[in-house]
Amino acid sequence: MTLSPGEAADALRDIAATETHSRQLYGYREASPHLLIWGILWAVGYGLAAALPRYGSAIWAAVVTTGFLAGYATAFRAAIRRGTPAERPVAETRRRAASRLNWTYSGIAFIAALFIAATLAVMSPVSGRQIDAFIPLVVAAGYAVLGLWLGVRFITIGVALAVLTLGGFFLLPAYFGVWMAAFGGGALVLGGLWLRTA
Amino acid sequence: MEQPDAVIHQPLRLRIMATLKALPRGERLEFVRLRVILNATEGNLGAHLGTLETAGYIRIEKDFNGKKPRTRVSLTEAGTRAYGDYVAFLRAIIDGTGDTTHAN
Repeated sequence: MTLSPGEAADALRDIAATETHSRQLYGYREASPHLLIWGILWAVGYGLAAALPRYGSAIWAAVVTTGFLAGYATAFRAAIRRGTPAERPVAETRRRAASRLNWTYSGIAFIAALFIAATLAVMSPVSGRQIDAFIPLVVAAGYAVLGLWLGVRFITIGVALAVLTLGGFFLLPAYFGVWMAAFGGGALVLGGLWLRTA
Repeated sequence: MEQPDAVIHQPLRLRIMATLKALPRGERLEFVRLRVILNATEGNLGAHLGTLETAGYIRIEKDFNGKKPRTRVSLTEAGTRAYGDYVAFLRAIIDGTGDTTHAN
């Protein structure tokens, strides 16, 4: 029995499709808790900032710090889970995970803070509402770009988030904070649950 | 590689290997999840996983997640190598540099 070049090509196509499918589903599952965390935090942050605008900066500082710490803890747990205790001591797995994640998360926090500060300095927004809309739009664009590699569900979430943000910004300016608490945070929570079902 | 690996050559086993290969190194996939991804029956998947485990290509770990029993599957180093060799064999056939005979 022989294997023709056509059969070999079919087999390679099947392999590529299976690997892509597996990688996408894995990415969805891994991203899901992060979207849930940030969805809840957005709901809390926008809701509290709308109710207590005087403390908006302090509220968002607390929300963002909590988000980064929770994201770090989630990523750390995933890294430990991937460790192979049979081949490597648990302490070594934890040390390697912490070493890698410390750099990654410090880098993300530094770049995000620098980007937002630089953009706000250049654009000089005249209202807090502009800042409240700008950051979700950047996040939405990030998800859409991520989706080009990791699957269409990320693109869908990014587009939904952008549409909801722009809709609230232009159609309901007086209630934008409450809108974003409900629909911005809600979209991320629903997106996270959707990714978990993949 | 003159002959393809007969263990991996079976279509479902090849898809199992491809699914596991796409995960980060050391990652384990739950049996239930693998069954859904591959759209396979429990008995069929279990039998093929047994064959791959016997060949040393995958590792099957059984434990409890809380009170629920859990079976997780991961690729071994030998499995990663065998899978790479099999893909290279297929590419060689397409390139016209490989032996097209396969053991079945």
